[in-house]
Amino acid sequence: MSYDDVEIEDMEWNVELQAYTYPCPCGDLFQITKDELRLGEEIARCPSCSLYITVVYNIEDFLGDSDQRNKKLEPPKQQPIAVA
Amino acid sequence: MTEQNEKGKEAIHEDEEEQPEVQKIWSWGAGTDGQLGTGRLEDEHLPQLLHFPSLASAGPIFLLACGGAHVIALTSGGRVMTWGRGASGQLGHGEMVNNLYPKAVTSLQNDFIIHVSAGWSHSGFVADSGCLFTCGDGSFGQLGHGDYKSHCSPVRVSFFANEHVEQIACGMRHSLVLLKGCHIYAFGSGKRGQLGISEGKIKSVSVPKVTQALEEVKIASIAANGDHSAALSFDGHLYTWGRGFGGTPDTHFPQCSSSSFLFTRAALGWNHALALTDGAQVFMLGGSHHGFLGDLEKIRPAKQLPDSREAILEKVLGLDGTKVLHIAAGAEHSAVGHLDDLLPKKLSKWSAHSQKNDLQDSEFRSTKQRKYQGRGSRQRLLGSISKSIPIAQYQLGEWPWLDEHTIGLVWLDNFDDTNSCLEFEAILKKT
Ligand SMILES: [Zn+2]
Repeated sequence: MSYDDVEIEDMEWNVELQAYTYPCPCGDLFQITKDELRLGEEIARCPSCSLYITVVYNIEDFLGDSDQRNKKLEPPKQQPIAVA
Repeated sequence: MTEQNEKGKEAIHEDEEEQPEVQKIWSWGAGTDGQLGTGRLEDEHLPQLLHFPSLASAGPIFLLACGGAHVIALTSGGRVMTWGRGASGQLGHGEMVNNLYPKAVTSLQNDFIIHVSAGWSHSGFVADSGCLFTCGDGSFGQLGHGDYKSHCSPVRVSFFANEHVEQIACGMRHSLVLLKGCHIYAFGSGKRGQLGISEGKIKSVSVPKVTQALEEVKIASIAANGDHSAALSFDGHLYTWGRGFGGTPDTHFPQCSSSSFLFTRAALGWNHALALTDGAQVFMLGGSHHGFLGDLEKIRPAKQLPDSREAILEKVLGLDGTKVLHIAAGAEHSAVGHLDDLLPKKLSKWSAHSQKNDLQDSEFRSTKQRKYQGRGSRQRLLGSISKSIPIAQYQLGEWPWLDEHTIGLVWLDNFDDTNSCLEFEAILKKT
């Protein structure tokens, strides 16, 4: 069961981790990368415990947002994606 | 057990000869940021007795505040020590690094600090002069300086320059301030209504604003954790606002809990609130999703109330006959302190309950909880435990797997409680 539903705008971009993060009750951070978001992943996990949250976001907001290096890896928009 | 008692008494006797008062601090739970003060970056499954020379020389600890992964200790001499995670500047040492050992916050040395609070990644300090200082993460405005900057040394909140601040309460991303004269001010993230300053959705404010609907109420104390806020009035009423409890909607203004009981203390988690009555009974709002102390069958019907807009304060069963003196809440767990010597019995009774629940009610243990158990995840006590109450401590809102999920700091200031604590430790080792 998801610990919580969290909107992407409530998550913080962590430069060190290169991931969006949100506080986990264990003291660590739930994390999800831009690449994961682009692939339609909506689960952000905590590396220190087994809890996870459901990230609420618009995948379109991330499909255009890619740096040069990742551009080739970007999934085509037609790709079937599981979004809530 | 008896053997432990004997040993405890011996230890006490020795101490008695050397010094008039014994203070011991124990810590356990998540420790990978140094927040346990053990000098190791490791989780601890059993309470660890701490030995820090730096703390001993600072004098007796008056109050401990546990944040997301940092700890603030306030000595009875008004000095502040911090340790744990410092990546956002929440330790106030002038740098953004973790500290494995208690270290004095030197920039506060000219002030006599009387109250402190630790949020997820920010800290607040109140001086006896009524000055408020904050440091740490300010990206939601939770430092109250009118901007969204973070600070690694305590900075005086100039908004309150002409006011007398009495208390501060730091939540995940917001802060509450209680002024002499009883007004509550709030700042930081307000998305779930936790600031209590406006009917509409407020993302965040960095300049303190008055919490509405409490102007006529004489407030004795405030509490904040997660996206929750709470206040207790001098006449014993509990007010809560912010994120809803137990699936109820968020409330954007303080709501007075409908209860005929009068409350003397409140503690907040990320999904539950605890309230202590003047009759030493404990009530809880929300928090049922991780288990109860008490008889599950008795609790169930209440859980299935039709979709109420207001969470119901329910008595925590299983504490009958116990005079509870202090309550504390972590993000997802609870602790009580009590004076009676029934602690070992209570613990065993509670464990038995939990096991019974596991067998008879698979629904009770959600997938999440099973994962918690299996993988040894970590929980922490975000609440603070103050000196005024000698404490013997155990979990009540949570799992039987005590040895995996709790971080806490135990204050002891009389010999009887040292004894209780030794018994407590013995029980932990048995399980
Ligand atoms: Zn975690």
